[in-house]
Amino acid sequence: MNHDQARYGDDERYEPLLSEKDTTSVDVDEQSPLPDDLTRDSLELPGLSEPEIARHYTRLSQMNWSVESGPYPLGSCTMKYNPSFTEDVAADPNGAVHPDRSEASLQGTLEVLHGLQDYLARIGGMDAVTLQPPAGAAGEFTGILVAKAYHESRDDDRSEVIVPASAHGTNFASAAMAGYDVVELPSGEDGRVDLDALEAAVSEDTAALMLTNPNTVGLFERDIVEIADIVHDAGGLLYYDGANLNALLGRARPGDMGFDVMHYNVHKTFATPHGGGGPGAGPVGVVDDLVEFLPSPRVCETEGGYELCEPEQTIGKVHGYQGNWLVLVKAYAYIARLGDEGLEDASAKAVLNANYLAEQIDYEIPYEPFHHEFAATAGDRDAADVAKRMLDYGVHPPTTKWPEFVPEAMLTEPTEAESRASLDDLAAAFNAAMADSIEDVESAPSKTTARRIDQAAAARNPRLSWHALGDEE
Amino acid sequence: MSNHNRHERAQGSPYAPHTPEDTAAMLNAIGLESEAELFDVPAEVRFEDELGIESRSERELRAELSSTLAKNADLTEFLGRDHHTHYVPSLIDELSERSEFLTSYTQYQPEITQGFLQALFEYQSLVVELTGLPIANCSMYDAATALGEAARLAGRVRQASGTRVLVPEILHENKRAVLENYVDGTDLTVHTYPMADGTVDVEALAAAADEETAMIYAENPTVHGTIESRLADVGDVADDVEALFCLGSDVVALGLLTEPASVGADVVVGEADALGLPTAYGMGLGLFATREAFLRQVPGRLVGAGEDAAGKRAYTLTLQTREQHIRKERATSNICTNQAWVALRTAMHLAWLGPDGLVDLASQCVREAQSLAERLSELRGVKAPVHDRHHFREFLVRTDQPASAIANDLEASGFAVHVVDDHRLQVCVTDVNAAATDALVAAFEEAL
Amino acid sequence: MFETPEDRKYQESHEYATTDGETVTIGITDFAQDELGDVVFVELPEVGDDIAQGEEFGVVESIKAVSDLYAPISGTVTEVNEELFDRPELVNEDPYGEGWMLKVDRADDADFDALLSADEYREQTE
Repeated sequence: MNHDQARYGDDERYEPLLSEKDTTSVDVDEQSPLPDDLTRDSLELPGLSEPEIARHYTRLSQMNWSVESGPYPLGSCTMKYNPSFTEDVAADPNGAVHPDRSEASLQGTLEVLHGLQDYLARIGGMDAVTLQPPAGAAGEFTGILVAKAYHESRDDDRSEVIVPASAHGTNFASAAMAGYDVVELPSGEDGRVDLDALEAAVSEDTAALMLTNPNTVGLFERDIVEIADIVHDAGGLLYYDGANLNALLGRARPGDMGFDVMHYNVHKTFATPHGGGGPGAGPVGVVDDLVEFLPSPRVCETEGGYELCEPEQTIGKVHGYQGNWLVLVKAYAYIARLGDEGLEDASAKAVLNANYLAEQIDYEIPYEPFHHEFAATAGDRDAADVAKRMLDYGVHPPTTKWPEFVPEAMLTEPTEAESRASLDDLAAAFNAAMADSIEDVESAPSKTTARRIDQAAAARNPRLSWHALGDEE
Repeated sequence: MSNHNRHERAQGSPYAPHTPEDTAAMLNAIGLESEAELFDVPAEVRFEDELGIESRSERELRAELSSTLAKNADLTEFLGRDHHTHYVPSLIDELSERSEFLTSYTQYQPEITQGFLQALFEYQSLVVELTGLPIANCSMYDAATALGEAARLAGRVRQASGTRVLVPEILHENKRAVLENYVDGTDLTVHTYPMADGTVDVEALAAAADEETAMIYAENPTVHGTIESRLADVGDVADDVEALFCLGSDVVALGLLTEPASVGADVVVGEADALGLPTAYGMGLGLFATREAFLRQVPGRLVGAGEDAAGKRAYTLTLQTREQHIRKERATSNICTNQAWVALRTAMHLAWLGPDGLVDLASQCVREAQSLAERLSELRGVKAPVHDRHHFREFLVRTDQPASAIANDLEASGFAVHVVDDHRLQVCVTDVNAAATDALVAAFEEAL
Repeated sequence: MFETPEDRKYQESHEYATTDGETVTIGITDFAQDELGDVVFVELPEVGDDIAQGEEFGVVESIKAVSDLYAPISGTVTEVNEELFDRPELVNEDPYGEGWMLKVDRADDADFDALLSADEYREQTE
């Protein structure tokens, strides 16, 4: 596929910085209504006209890849199409409210949130849901704090959280943030949890096992019922990382598999836009035994409407208010648009697309049968280089070099949003990048705005603001 | 089924492009006969039931949600307390909602995402200018979680050896609750210090601070809208006990009030969403800036400038070894998904205002608060502001009559204000609601 | 092939130690620098700090990896290669020369005896 990304600028850069277009210094004391000792002396910011700002950001946007630009098959990221109408729903001026209003004056907002709590509980097979965590990692932290509060309420002192070696990095970090020692569980030879290793790892110190299913190479943990039994028999809880839920909508539910607590990545599974890195939302669902420990407040139904209620043994708060409203309302709209059949179909097409794409590419895929994503290996090539070469063929490459137990991994998740024709193009890009000469691969990309960036030099000499560019430019 | 289907496609996701012929051909290509065979899910955990979620069309949903949200009362909000809003120009929606920004991912392939990287680099630079601190990350979730991360940073760095985190007694209860959870897994503990007539009681703070203190947190403006006059002294107290000085503020206030670096702040946290976002039921954008010395302890993503193979300046995520995807349980934070798109909007809004516009807007926050307080104080049985201090956007109001009764009456007249306690209200005024102050004063008088 | 000079001893975790009879010089091997890729940051102890054989003494970071450094011998740090703070790439370019990390006062001979010879280390990395 032909592709040349926009490229503005001059010999030095691709688009001048705002500060290079204008820098204006203002004497703050002169304009301020306050005594001088309460104010700053001066302020130096770009002072540009609206047309200049419009052009600046339009150019920046043209130098950026997105789901609407083309395939974006990043494994574990679920870059699916984000329906436009959800933006209009989120922009409803009646939803633009301050969180400290009275509940009586917020019945519309609370009704939407309650509706989303209900949808998510159904989809996950959970008994109750909090919408407060503002991202997936925040959901993990919340879920682990809930598990901790549960154990503490039973005077059960537990110090460890078990995490498979192949898990998302956030699992390790979230468990550690909550004060737990992380016990790493090696991957079994078939890419799944090794039951013997799990038996050996659990003990009276086990607070929880964090697991994603399908796992990070797309395999369903077939022994999930046994896994749940092992963890529960040891007195631990089973935590579900919802990053891969797009594989299973309407076909299997974490609650039915024995999970006690889970988070949902609504910016993955429920199509809210990723926004260049966020905002997302990471609601947490729990089974009955854990409801009383959820963050405060939750939205509860009353006879005449909705109110905010505080769980009896709440862990408190994980966000200043109620999380990322603008994301949550889009997720509600997406789920309601699809309904039962649509959700089930989304997963079926996501898994179909992954399997079809895998069939079309000339790469070894060590672990099967996978679902919504697969880990191909670049073999004796550097996966990161192959990925750079793919950029020249008008597609975004997959996640590279992760999970680590797959050599030169290219973790690929096309999502349901790609058509058959688009998958054929994507496969062609995979295959062409692998067939190209080492020289071409190592010198790629050439059709993107920037050529290969020297990341080592950028890290050795961190320049993190325009103030730091100084004389070197 | 309601009118779910946009065209004759099978009942399914409207956002999966497959025709029945495509699906059949694709299944054939992989040697399967049905979609059910795609799933390697043991029968014992297969879900055979219905979720019970009814699909609606786009048109139906827009109507439904519009009518649901219309159940929110039509109130003019005089609310603040850590969640502020200002007029957001149309340009911000127009530019930020370009799908190239909105539907892109984290910039793990920098060569093809220079646009967003540059925008985040510019956001970091704007925060550096406002705080005077040289390192700013490209976002935390909100002000409360940014404070939590600041305390965790204080717990990690060698410069601050203690375990006590000192916060003002008037700290917003939500922020306090989040902070408690963020330090739950560490040996840090949270303690309060007293205020004197609305601002830090520096002498009492000095008495409360000791060598066990890891961090002292203060806010400017405070949650009650008062402007601090002795921040340099707070910085000195922190220095004396070798604790970090963390200052909370917001992007508008920073344009006018004392520059944090000039009073010795080691970390600045706070609300960046005061610009760029309309009121969004508490959705935020957390500021985080710090000194060079703590660069490797910073949580969250950082964008750096580098060079590409063509010899041109290019941007990339950098120092990623701090982050969870590489350092796992030893990462500086678990944060992955952040608030990048909100940071983009805030940077756009700052650019739109320019330095004059920002100082004007911030000055308006001082003038409007002063003027409204004076007018309310003329009412019988009302004193405003409660504290004899300069204020930013908001202030406390003491009422002889029960505060909640007045607030209820005001709500019935179409106004929302905060009830702080039995006889104190809090009122916040900005460019957004300034035109309604006459009506508020009239309703207030009515309510007395 | 990676260089594994005969004039020093090695540890399984890829650090080396060599002595001139007075002080011991410590760094990481050619194999290790290659595995890590472009080194961007090195964190080392301060002069006067004690290090203990087999215990962590610092961290070396590349773009995508972080590795702990384990002391091959015990002793007190007498010198730190501060050049690495500005030019961490020296670890890649010259691991046995300009890319050295620490100098430590003369170690116990027993510490050296516990380390691998060049041959033994080469076998481990093949």
